[in-house]
Amino acid sequence: MQLRLSNIRKSFGEGSSHVEVLKDINLEVEKGEFVVLLGPSGSGKSTLLNIIGGIDSADSGKIIIRNKSMSDMDEKALTSYRREHLGYIFQMYNLIPNLTVRENIEVGAYLSKNPLDIDEIIETLGLKEHRNKVPSQLSGGQQQRCAIGRAIVKNPDILLCDEPTGALDYNTSKEILALIEEVNRKYGNTVIMVTHNDAIKNMADYVVKLRDGVIRKSYRNEAKIKAAELDW
Amino acid sequence: MTREAVLEENAILQEKQIARKRMKNPLRKRLLREVKEDAGKYVVIFILLVLSIGFVSGFLVAGSSMIKAYDDSFDRYIIENGNFRTEEPLSKAQKESIERKGVSVYENFYVEKEFDNDTKLRIFGERNEIDKVCVMDGRLPEKELEIAIDRMYADNNNLTVGDTLTHDGDTYEIAGLVALSDYSALFYSNNDMMFDASAFGVAVVSADQFSKYKEDDLHYNYSWLYDDEPEDEIAEKEASDELLEKLTATTDLENFIPRYVNQSIRFTGEDIESDKAMMEVLLYIIIVIIAFVFGITINNTIHKEANVIGTLRASGYTINELIVHYMTMPLIVTIISAIIGNILGYTVFKETCVDMYYGSYSLPTYVTIWNGEAFFKTTLIPIFIMVAVTYFILRRKLSISPLKLIRRDLSGKNQKHAIKLSRKIGFFERFRIRILIQNKSSYITLFAGLFFANVLLFFGMMLPPLLVHFQDTVTDSMLAKYTYLLQIPAGAVDSDNEISSMFSYITLRGKINTNNKDAEKFSAYTLKTTGENGARVEEITLYGVEENSRYIHADFDDKTVLVSSAYADKYDLKKDDVITLKEPYEDTYYGFKVTGVYDYDGGVSVFMSKEHLNKVLGYDEEFFAGYFSDSEITDIDSKYIGTVIDEEALTRVSRQLMISMGHLMYMVDGFSVLLFIVLMYLLSKLIIERNAQSISMVKILGYSKKEIALLYIVPTALVVVVSLLISYLLLSHVMVWIFREMLKMMMSGWLVIWLDPKVYVQMFLLGTITYAVVAVIEYFRIGRIPMSDALKNVE
Repeated sequence: MQLRLSNIRKSFGEGSSHVEVLKDINLEVEKGEFVVLLGPSGSGKSTLLNIIGGIDSADSGKIIIRNKSMSDMDEKALTSYRREHLGYIFQMYNLIPNLTVRENIEVGAYLSKNPLDIDEIIETLGLKEHRNKVPSQLSGGQQQRCAIGRAIVKNPDILLCDEPTGALDYNTSKEILALIEEVNRKYGNTVIMVTHNDAIKNMADYVVKLRDGVIRKSYRNEAKIKAAELDW
Repeated sequence: MTREAVLEENAILQEKQIARKRMKNPLRKRLLREVKEDAGKYVVIFILLVLSIGFVSGFLVAGSSMIKAYDDSFDRYIIENGNFRTEEPLSKAQKESIERKGVSVYENFYVEKEFDNDTKLRIFGERNEIDKVCVMDGRLPEKELEIAIDRMYADNNNLTVGDTLTHDGDTYEIAGLVALSDYSALFYSNNDMMFDASAFGVAVVSADQFSKYKEDDLHYNYSWLYDDEPEDEIAEKEASDELLEKLTATTDLENFIPRYVNQSIRFTGEDIESDKAMMEVLLYIIIVIIAFVFGITINNTIHKEANVIGTLRASGYTINELIVHYMTMPLIVTIISAIIGNILGYTVFKETCVDMYYGSYSLPTYVTIWNGEAFFKTTLIPIFIMVAVTYFILRRKLSISPLKLIRRDLSGKNQKHAIKLSRKIGFFERFRIRILIQNKSSYITLFAGLFFANVLLFFGMMLPPLLVHFQDTVTDSMLAKYTYLLQIPAGAVDSDNEISSMFSYITLRGKINTNNKDAEKFSAYTLKTTGENGARVEEITLYGVEENSRYIHADFDDKTVLVSSAYADKYDLKKDDVITLKEPYEDTYYGFKVTGVYDYDGGVSVFMSKEHLNKVLGYDEEFFAGYFSDSEITDIDSKYIGTVIDEEALTRVSRQLMISMGHLMYMVDGFSVLLFIVLMYLLSKLIIERNAQSISMVKILGYSKKEIALLYIVPTALVVVVSLLISYLLLSHVMVWIFREMLKMMMSGWLVIWLDPKVYVQMFLLGTITYAVVAVIEYFRIGRIPMSDALKNVE
């Protein structure tokens, strides 16, 4: 078991504006699984992802990751946990504007004791021609590829993707999903992806549907299809 | 796989591992690019630091080098321990008798001659044993009718080596320009309030030439050196008192000036030290500005890069790694600026400041010396501030959770409800009001920045008119057109032998009476302040006024003690306050209860009845020390007149301050205007940068560049105008306080602090014109903001 979440609760605000975003979430993820957290906006899926990523904290509950409890980790340990085991992809690419594609990927590689080959990743991401360009010279899809490169170059155990196609058009979204799928297959990382796009669940090994902070449904996907075959 | 293939693969793997180990933080590649992209910001910081460090260190280095040259001159040129002047030359026996008091006495005779350029020179003969001469240019005179004149007097009268000076048909050729070690400040009389190096100078001629002067013209001046140098001023006072007693018993003295009261020798050292006070005030203002600039620039960087920082933090970059990254470039710029600033400080700026000192004082040649204090105050402190402020802000902001950083939620507080605006207000106006509200923290920063910049501007621009105003108005409150302070020959009063002193005084009275009908006697005495709380010790003149005085319009009884308005203003004195004054160099204290303030800005003085003062001092009821008169007194021998306070004398202080500080003030002026401009540029730039995304968005919506400028530049212009006006209001109080403290540290006496209304207008114009120029730059900057900013970075 790579990741186990037990009785996770999280709320925001006080008094009349108090909202419980996660209500008693329990979840187990196996190593190498492609997990999709599906739900409409406000369902708590991004909050859950951020708690797994150690950039937000739960009010109660337990998270065990690679047999270690996250609740025992202080800020320093959390940073080192993120550094060693996690890769993050956001809806917004948040690339460093004055570094080239290659250098932005190097920013991720620097964090790892055992990073993947940068040039190989650039090749895989289809960014070879653009490797010396800065982010402002790239399309949205190319920037997201670069962000993926930055996340995976350190060969993380878990790749967390928060609406990675949210700002992209249909075709580019499919390309990006295919890329994440390939990364998952090629490097064997566990992928946890948050999306509100129902079609994406079809490429997952494990689907978790959230609504109003509660897991409404979760199941292993027996009829998994390739990203290229998705349609919405 | 063949063995070779395996070996080759291993070699590649090893190479990659080594490469990884060698991998440096890729973020460092941003550093130079960052400087190029944000050149404006770094140029501003660079200019600010180079100028501050260069200017202030130049001044302090020049000051300390000058002080060193001045201090060294005592031994190097064997400066006298004092001098006295006798009516007749001393006989050999008299000289030997005096020297038995533990001193060596040297002839230092002089003549005084008025030249055809309406100036007076005090001409000495060769000085080989004492008060030696420093040749600054040319050589010492060797032949008859050759003269070496004081270098500063020469500068002020546009004279140089080879020029001539004529007196009574004798034409002297200037062989050299010199500094006389006992005349670093060219005081004509030791009783003068200030010196005038244009009208009076000193000179030396050859022994042959000096021997040509008539005996009647000679002033029999002698200088002395103690065989054992007294340890401090108190010991010096005791030694000189003993010598004075011996001299009065031996000869008829005309003048007696121990070194510790000789203004010609002492004034320069004290004044250079006091100039430091002004520079230190300036330095403190600059340090606050530097801290402020570092604070806002680093804060702005974090705001600009919040999402990147959040992502890096989420990826596992530690806070310390990011702190190092974001501190590197400001630190490099600061260090480079510090190096260049110091180079300029020790060359260009030092030269300017040295010229300033040579423009005021007749100092000998100097050698530049390394100044640790200047390095500490101008270089180490700014670097420390940069590191501390930047580190503190980075630490605080980077501790915000990565999630908040990614969402650019840095404030900690969210605005819960939008402020309601009436629909009656036009849309554009409402939009502008929203911009004002949304950017309120930036505008508060802008206000603070303008306030600091204005402090500096005020400092540079208000001081010269303050001096001019004093010069123009001080004469309105003169006690009389002429106030004569008599020079009681040494020993006549201040003697332990009361009978002898009484006798001398009675003899003297016949010589110091006048038939001038306007003249009114007063008694006077000088005491010193006690220098409480580290204040500067200064001399206070106490006037004893005759009953029903025609000149001092106040009623005096035996308890009335009035302080001059200048005294009250300087020390914040009110009725019923008690002032404590001290006998110079003695442990005798006098306490007076202030009963009122007398309107007199010309000096720090105290007024009481003559009877009252004489009683306090233990003098005879009839004792007097001077005359008030509305017409010139001509029937008293000038040798009995110590000081004349007339219009010329009263304004001499401010005139000399204008001369000695003139260069400095104009430098401060230029410096502060430049800093004002760079700060204004930096702050306005930051506001547009903070709004880049919104500007990009309204561009997408189809707003024209002009409309966007009206939306974003007009509110800033309004804030600038309001900030300027509010800061003037605050500064009119703050600066009075700063000037008071500075002048207290800098000078004896007092200048009434007056803020010239014209300067407010000039400052306002400067502020608005500067903003207008900056607004034009901002207008073009708005044009350069790409629409993709909003498209690619929507939150």
